[in-house]
Amino acid sequence: MNLTSLSATKLRTLVKKKEIKAQEIILAYLKRIKEQEKDLSAFITVLGEKALASAKSIDRKRDKGKLAGIPVAVKDNILTKGIRTTCASKMLEKYVPPYSATVVNKLEEEDAVVIGKTNLDEFGMGSSTENSAFFPTRNPWDLRRVPGGSSGGSAAAVAAGEAAASLGSDTGGSVRQPAAFCGLVGLKPTYSRVSRYGLVAFASSLDQIGPLTRTVADNALLTQIIAGSDPQDSTVSSQPVPDYRKEMRRELPSPKAAYLKDKVLDGIDPEVKDNYYRTLSVLEETGAELREMDFPSWEYALACYYLIAPSEASSNLSRYDGVRYSFRHPRYSNLKEMYLNTRSEGFGREVKRRILLGTFALSSGYYDDYYLKAAQARKLICQEFEKAFKKVDFILTPTAPEPAFLFGEKEDPVAMYLSDIFTVTANLAGIPALTMPVGLSQKGLPIGIQIMASFFQESCIFKLAFLLEKKVKFDNNKLNLRKRRSHV
Amino acid sequence: MNPKIDLDHVCALANLRLTKNEKKLLGPQMIKIVNWVNKLEELEMDVSKGEVYSSVSFSLPFREDNIKPSLPAREALANSPEKSEGLVKVPKVFEVK
Repeated sequence: MNLTSLSATKLRTLVKKKEIKAQEIILAYLKRIKEQEKDLSAFITVLGEKALASAKSIDRKRDKGKLAGIPVAVKDNILTKGIRTTCASKMLEKYVPPYSATVVNKLEEEDAVVIGKTNLDEFGMGSSTENSAFFPTRNPWDLRRVPGGSSGGSAAAVAAGEAAASLGSDTGGSVRQPAAFCGLVGLKPTYSRVSRYGLVAFASSLDQIGPLTRTVADNALLTQIIAGSDPQDSTVSSQPVPDYRKEMRRELPSPKAAYLKDKVLDGIDPEVKDNYYRTLSVLEETGAELREMDFPSWEYALACYYLIAPSEASSNLSRYDGVRYSFRHPRYSNLKEMYLNTRSEGFGREVKRRILLGTFALSSGYYDDYYLKAAQARKLICQEFEKAFKKVDFILTPTAPEPAFLFGEKEDPVAMYLSDIFTVTANLAGIPALTMPVGLSQKGLPIGIQIMASFFQESCIFKLAFLLEKKVKFDNNKLNLRKRRSHV
Repeated sequence: MNPKIDLDHVCALANLRLTKNEKKLLGPQMIKIVNWVNKLEELEMDVSKGEVYSSVSFSLPFREDNIKPSLPAREALANSPEKSEGLVKVPKVFEVK
């Protein structure tokens, strides 16, 4: 039995039935990591011995948790007590957190095994994982291509069988776009559904942690564990967390879904467009009622996002000044010079670009014209969603305008920012959104579709995604890393 | 609006120093990005109304102010590059005459 190609749900059942031990699972995954990491570079830190020790202690337990023995990879901007957490930045290269994020504690309370910390675009800023200060991660479907970003390491690890599931963070699409590029299911939950305690802040009003998995059921399983109130984060909702796996299997009587007008899809990859329409037809065949909808303010969403996110980032990242967080430039003659040298040396180019953009948007004389205007545009976008969700249950869009692109293909920052065109709206509005794979391009690259719903409607999203998964039958095992190596 | 971006001023506000090459690259890129986000001007909005987005729909909860154990100072300071007697150490801010 190839344990590394099984879903987390299947592994869980096998452990529960005592057919396999947690140790066997972890050993199989560590072997897989050893074989493939030279090609992929999905991990910044692999936790070999620690993961094995956890597995051994889980095997000794009589009452095992809901995720017993499941190897989970965690994005390296989510704190893990005593385990280096770098944010893929020189600034935090040696940072060892004194506490774990709530999501990590919740996973470990259910006996999941954190198998490693995954690569990302520095501080979550990017759509390709090329902005990691250490090394880029490759897409297991085609090693010449990016895995998406910023949770590129988390996506590549799960797609290539180096982890059964992973956690990413999503500020403008950073879970969903890499999940789509790597043929996975990825969820950005409702803002306030999952605790952000211990997530290194990028843009606090947009950030959410979400799972990347091979199946919809796995995603529901992980979401259920990480969601829910947290005394350490007052922005988390106290709304009870439904049993998503049970809910997912319930009937979805004649769902109503909106799709985008054709003109909104102008300029996107034709194969992405074809897959989008094909999936809509599949849904219609299942009895869904589809209607075309116009979202006039959507074309402003990216501009709005690229003012709000950098503004919040410029404030959040001001804490890295050489005083508290590991890196300090060795040369300085006074305090001001220490700040300047540390920040100028410690941050990479994309992070500097966003800090400068945010500082500009918040600066005296420009605040009203830029930040405030973006905050108001955000309100308009939210109102459009509110109106739409009075008429429909779901809004369906492509997840990304194209399949995974080549390394170095997008050197112009604006071209890179356009990768987020379909995903940023859910972060701006705070609503949940899930991507799932619905097909392959002619070059064999996965293509995803995005399902959005109103606040706290994750159960409905899982229902629709589960239904669609059964119809589309996307086969993750088509990925053959050995074969792909010949492309390099 | 065609804004003039005083890159040196923005860098000073952000505590960043750019190399000549970075300035050459980031300067024009910043202008391009700002021109691109200027698209928002097309939207008709009244700034004076002050209708802005709030990230959570519920009022933030309060809890009793009970004292609980917190992170020990030694652990909280463990990542600081320089420390002394339970405090972070930085270059002098004031000169003593």
